[in-house]
Amino acid sequence: MPRLTIDDIEIEVPHGTKVIDAAERLGIMIPRFCYHRGLGSVGACRMCAVKFLQGPFKGLQMSCMIDAQDGMVISTTDAEALDFRRHVIEWLMLNHPHDCPVCDEGGHCLLQDMTVSGGHGMRRFSGEKRTYRDQYLGELVQHEMNRCIHCYRCVRFYREFAGYRDLGALQIAQKVYFGRLADGPLESPFAGNLVDLCPTGVYTDKPARFRARRWDLERGPSLCIHCSLGCNTVAGARYREVLRQEARLNEEVNGYFICDLGRYGFAYAGHPERPRSPRIGSQAVGWQEAVAVACDRLARLGPRSIACLSSARASVETLGTLKYLSKRVGSDHFVCFYDAAVKFKMGEIVSKLDGRTAVSLRDIEKADLLIGVGADPINAAPMLALAMRQAQRAGAKVVMMDPRPLFLPCDFEHLSVSPELFDVCLSALVKSTFDRERVGKHGEAAVTLYDRMLSCDPLDASVQARLEPLIAVVEGCRRPIIICGSDIAPASSVSFAADVALLMGEVKDQSGVFYVLPGANAYGAALFDAANGSSFESVVQEIEDGAIKALIVAESDPFRYVADRDRLQRALNKLELLLVLDYLPSETVRKAHIFLPTRAIFETRSSFINQEGRLQVAEKIHSPGTPIWQVSNKGHPPRLYGTGICGGEPRAAWRVLQQIAHTLVHSQNEISENDPWPVIGGECAVLARHHQHNGPLHGLRIIPQTSTAAFFDGDLDLQPKQPMDGHLTLLPVVSTFATEELASYSEIIQRVIGSPCAYLHSDDAERCGLLDCDRIRIAVDDGFLEIDLTVSDKMARGFLILPRHSRFEWQKLHCFAQGLPVEKIGNCTP
Amino acid sequence: MAGNEVNILRAFYEGVAGLASAYRITLKHLFRKPITEQYPEYKRPLPARSRARIILTRDADGDERCVACFLCSAVCPVSCISMESGEREDGRRYAQWFRINFARCIYCGFCEEACPTLAIQLTPDFEFCQRDILKLVYEKEDLLVDHGGKNAEYDFYKHAGVAVKGDKGTHYQEAAPVNIKTNLP
Ligand code: SF4
Ligand code: SF4
Ligand code: SF4
Ligand code: FES
Repeated sequence: MPRLTIDDIEIEVPHGTKVIDAAERLGIMIPRFCYHRGLGSVGACRMCAVKFLQGPFKGLQMSCMIDAQDGMVISTTDAEALDFRRHVIEWLMLNHPHDCPVCDEGGHCLLQDMTVSGGHGMRRFSGEKRTYRDQYLGELVQHEMNRCIHCYRCVRFYREFAGYRDLGALQIAQKVYFGRLADGPLESPFAGNLVDLCPTGVYTDKPARFRARRWDLERGPSLCIHCSLGCNTVAGARYREVLRQEARLNEEVNGYFICDLGRYGFAYAGHPERPRSPRIGSQAVGWQEAVAVACDRLARLGPRSIACLSSARASVETLGTLKYLSKRVGSDHFVCFYDAAVKFKMGEIVSKLDGRTAVSLRDIEKADLLIGVGADPINAAPMLALAMRQAQRAGAKVVMMDPRPLFLPCDFEHLSVSPELFDVCLSALVKSTFDRERVGKHGEAAVTLYDRMLSCDPLDASVQARLEPLIAVVEGCRRPIIICGSDIAPASSVSFAADVALLMGEVKDQSGVFYVLPGANAYGAALFDAANGSSFESVVQEIEDGAIKALIVAESDPFRYVADRDRLQRALNKLELLLVLDYLPSETVRKAHIFLPTRAIFETRSSFINQEGRLQVAEKIHSPGTPIWQVSNKGHPPRLYGTGICGGEPRAAWRVLQQIAHTLVHSQNEISENDPWPVIGGECAVLARHHQHNGPLHGLRIIPQTSTAAFFDGDLDLQPKQPMDGHLTLLPVVSTFATEELASYSEIIQRVIGSPCAYLHSDDAERCGLLDCDRIRIAVDDGFLEIDLTVSDKMARGFLILPRHSRFEWQKLHCFAQGLPVEKIGNCTP
Repeated sequence: MAGNEVNILRAFYEGVAGLASAYRITLKHLFRKPITEQYPEYKRPLPARSRARIILTRDADGDERCVACFLCSAVCPVSCISMESGEREDGRRYAQWFRINFARCIYCGFCEEACPTLAIQLTPDFEFCQRDILKLVYEKEDLLVDHGGKNAEYDFYKHAGVAVKGDKGTHYQEAAPVNIKTNLP
């Protein structure tokens, strides 16, 4: 470890640390523009010059280009260095426009800071400034090219780091231009990071254009809850509304970046139709009355006639207190997953993720082999795709088994097989890596499973041929990771993936399984839901039978997910009480008998557990209230003065649930009114261990070191069913912006989602007489569903892939769960 | 001894002279024309830079100067300025609403100093007290005047370099935009 001296302070840093970073460890911020730890050095801006006094380098050097070495003595405040940096700023300012007042970067602009701190106050150059025309880059990023200082951060991120090609450097010499060949939306779902990265105001946040200066924002650490990765963000609110989100560095999770869904999805919290007052029927009432009536009606029902429903988007606090309430009222039903199969898979995942198998996004970047099993990273967990790209850039091989026409911003081997073949393919890939003796260490079950793996090979020749070369790759790799989806992957594959990861751990340096889960807090939901026999299906059944008379729904909208919506509607109609707590203007909220408004993630401290079992906390950013522009209709705010905030009624769901629980079952004794954690700890032993007096520990994994669960207990599905003749299997899937629940209430995301599009293999399309870009019409019970078709030969045969798009009623297709007869598909291309 | 006597004599002389000069001035003023101004009957013209009621001025074309940059609200030591910024149809940044609470304003003039567009200016008009404190909260329509105030000619957008009031390259000290479709000089 090299020891060096910077500004008379000695420091020892790991090998490969740049001098600029070594200084930062000492709290000395050397000015910089082009250097970014996430992107590395290029030495383009010359801003980080420091004076090397002793050691292998001498004189003025760029601190971002030189690795710290033994015996270096460096001065960052040397007169020569200061003078050099002052000149650099002046050169950069020669062409910089005079537009800070109308630039959104103003107030958090690196160039502003450097200009002011460098003391460059007066323009001495009287020549002309270079100008550029700007481009339309879509609805999320605003372009203003005059402000560019040519640090190359944008293209380094966009092309090298993220792997998209539609933004680049054009022109030469001092006219270099950063943009696209022609106007048009940026193709990358990570484009929003340009806003964070650009040290000036070339790329600014378009939805928040002109809305606020950084110094006026109420800012705080928050989380993205649009997928299961739980990327860390900084949310900034002004006038009772979140306006901007930025990426927050978390070395283990998202690194320096987030995806655009996470950056721009927040607008659901300020939805103009968000219900903000308690309601009985359609009558707005006060909190006290609403809670009293709800408690009264619940009290009149017998203990077994109440069911509780929440979801994977609810926080740990909401889930824990709802579970508590359900126990207190003696309810048998506490459900967090709408689909019994998903629930089962979640149970498997929670039991099999432990210190040996779980890996973080950072581990993915370090892997040398990534095997995807029914996972579609770009659509289900975008930042995962970015991590995979980093692995691939460092030489990793990526193999994806998936029937969908996958896209990844890196090279990968795509085995377009049906989900039923995942087990077979995975077995074929990895079996030669193990020997029976080593497997034997894991007990009888492992050996049995291994034997099952050995026995399989009912693969068709084409797949077999593509697997062959990969087997050698698996044998040669040192750090393999299996990336497993929980959506289309069958339960057997989900648990098999963990088994394989554990076995690989025996023979490899490092191994693990990275699950992609169906919701930001799916892991948390499974913790509370797991040891519980009831499913949403059984709840609906019992409502129909009249056994369940009241349903408490906390931050969940079954109408969005349940296939048979009519049946759900009929069941809900039978209820004596439908009590809904939520912050979205959802269909379930509209149908509530009693509605209680709750706070969104920005308005209360809340915790979520991501897909690797990491508990993370989002702080309260602002107090709830109707955004001022909605109250004032874009004019000046009303000139009324009074107490209370307009629309400020929402309360944290856990407070309300705890209050209901205590009103129903009188025992005010031990439980604190201001801290949900004693209650949560009471409901879930794992979490009890992990909370301290002032709330949960942020950023720690709550998974056990060695799980006690039975590995190798799943049965492998090695005899795939033959699809019915003349039928297509329907595969409803996720799609980055269009299918996520919260984002569907985000007006910003709604601006960028494309129209829904179905996928069909070219052979199947030919059989049905359909062409790429045709518009198809599927006959359902009550009419037709229309959707655009994309024909692809990079997907499995026999499938019709449909997005669970918020503008496509995919639920209506539930009657074809067993297969869609091809004659039901018509062509309605205009 | 002698020195002491001289000191006493000097003190006596100074005392008498002091008294006499005061009487002389009083007498002189008795016969002078009075200079007291009878306010409010007479209103003395104040220098243009006196600091009282604040206005939002317009540029030479008659357009609002304020670009809602939040600099005045940031610098205001009593936080009496608030606004929300918006984008007009023509791309111009402007204040959707702009409010100054004169009940709080201390007329320090910092806002005027901070304003990069010379929009916000203090005027000599100090006579606008109210019994109802709410009437001291001025909205944008109350603040906006139809002249340029102290610097009638300055036009921020002619210097800024954004494509408002003319395309890129047409403003003060600008070269023609770079053609990105050719690398020829
Ligand atoms: S556009 Fe921004 S990030 Fe890109 S080179 Fe210019 S200043 Fe750097
Ligand atoms: S990858 Fe997932 S968690 Fe991360 S920002 Fe995107 S949607 Fe949010
Ligand atoms: S400083 Fe000037 S331009 Fe900026 S908001 Fe205030 S009045 Fe408007
Ligand atoms: S930061 Fe070192 S040259 Fe730009």
